[in-house]
This record gives sequence, structure tokens and C-alpha cells, in this order.
Amino acid sequence: MQFVRAIVRPEKKDEVLENLSAGGFNAATVVDVVGRGKQKGIRMGDVYYDEIPKTLILVAIEDADRDRIVDIILKTAKTGPSGNFGDGKIFISPVEEAYTISKGAKGL
Amino acid sequence: MKEIMAIVRMKKTGATKRALIEAGVAGFTAVKAMGRGKLLPHDEINVPCKEKLMGMAATDVIDGEESEEQVVAFLDDKTMFPRRLFTILAYDEDVPRIVEAIIKANRTERGAGDGKIFVTPVADAVRVRTGESGDAAIW
Repeated sequence: MQFVRAIVRPEKKDEVLENLSAGGFNAATVVDVVGRGKQKGIRMGDVYYDEIPKTLILVAIEDADRDRIVDIILKTAKTGPSGNFGDGKIFISPVEEAYTISKGAKGL
Repeated sequence: MKEIMAIVRMKKTGATKRALIEAGVAGFTAVKAMGRGKLLPHDEINVPCKEKLMGMAATDVIDGEESEEQVVAFLDDKTMFPRRLFTILAYDEDVPRIVEAIIKANRTERGAGDGKIFVTPVADAVRVRTGESGDAAIW
């Protein structure tokens, strides 16, 4: 089992969630976050923005689904044909155990 | 060293905090999150829920058909509901006890939407105040 943490533009959130649902990944947790990337934020004249709003989407998946979900997020969250700075990142980490509280048992 | 991520109902935040203290874990980080679960093919959860919501509909404000549409859209599994996301660091041997305590505090009669618990490995932790790392930094 693996955890996919995708940081995407807030305006892409609904589209990403819709495509994830269509791809069979309906379950997701969404948190509003702020952050900056390796471009060190944005400078507009004298004003410097380094807490840029993003949306963090958490999805737990079975190992076999990994490439498919990454593909869906990459295709949906990218802006323009070549992409832009600030389109986001995807992190994947291992999950050892998952429990469903309503069933009181292990499993997604 | 393990990280326990628990997604629970907003209303159960207090019960979860109490359960954690009883389990001997005082420290946690919590954020507000929105979430949805997997598609529910079984009607035994959705049908009573729909009936209950229809019973609450104010028929004098909107007509029955419109409220039925809204209720169906609400229950189509694509609505995001508010939840609380707890992150707890724990020693390996305490994980089953903490998971048990969270499940006990959060289980309801509703059969769905009570949340999920994920246990993930943590490579290292550092306490900022003292600089100590590893297991010593957890509590």
C-alpha cells in the first residue's frame, strides 16, 4: 500500500478530483496548504510572495495502481503543453497498515 | 518509529483527543481537511440516509423534486465532507494500542464515513528544543 501526496494548484483541485474519481480513485483527503518551490516564490516588483496557496491531495492506493494515479494527476494538474512553475509535485511514500474505522478492520 | 495518520469526523475530535490521552499519547498535530470515501455500491447505508434527509427537507421552501435532486447529488459519493486529520508519532510497539483506541473512539452506527487510519514508517525525528533525535525525540 502506498500514499500519494499531490500538491496542485487550488484551481485545478476540482478537475483533479473529478478525474481521480473517473479513474476509480474516489476516496481522497484534501488540505489547503501554502508553500514555495525551488524558484523561491514569486517576486512582483517590490512585493515578494513565498507562501503561495496550494492544495494537498492525499490518496492511499494499492501498489499496482501507482503508475495509473500518477499519470492521471500529472495529466490533469499540468498547465499548458509544456507546464509551468507552480504546477505542483507528487510524493509517494509507503504505508504499512490501513484501517477502516467503520469496519474496525484492516484494509482500504 | 511510526507515523499514524487518522482521518476522523469533526465531531469526534474531542473524543479522539481523550482516547489518545487514555492511551498514553498526549502529543499530536491536527489539521482541518476535506475528504470523501470510496464509492458505496451497497444501498443499505445510502437508502436510510436519503430517507432521513428527505424527511428534513423544508417542503414549503423548495418542492419535493428539487430537494430529492439535491439529496441525491449530496449522497453520490463525490461530495467532500469536513474531517480532522490527526498526525501522531509513536514507538513501533505502541501502534496497535493507539490504533485500537482511535477505532474505539470513532466507530459509529452509520456504517460509513467514520474515517481511516494509516500507519507509515518514519526515518527520523528531531526535537527542536534539545536537538535530540531518533526514538528520544518522540516523547
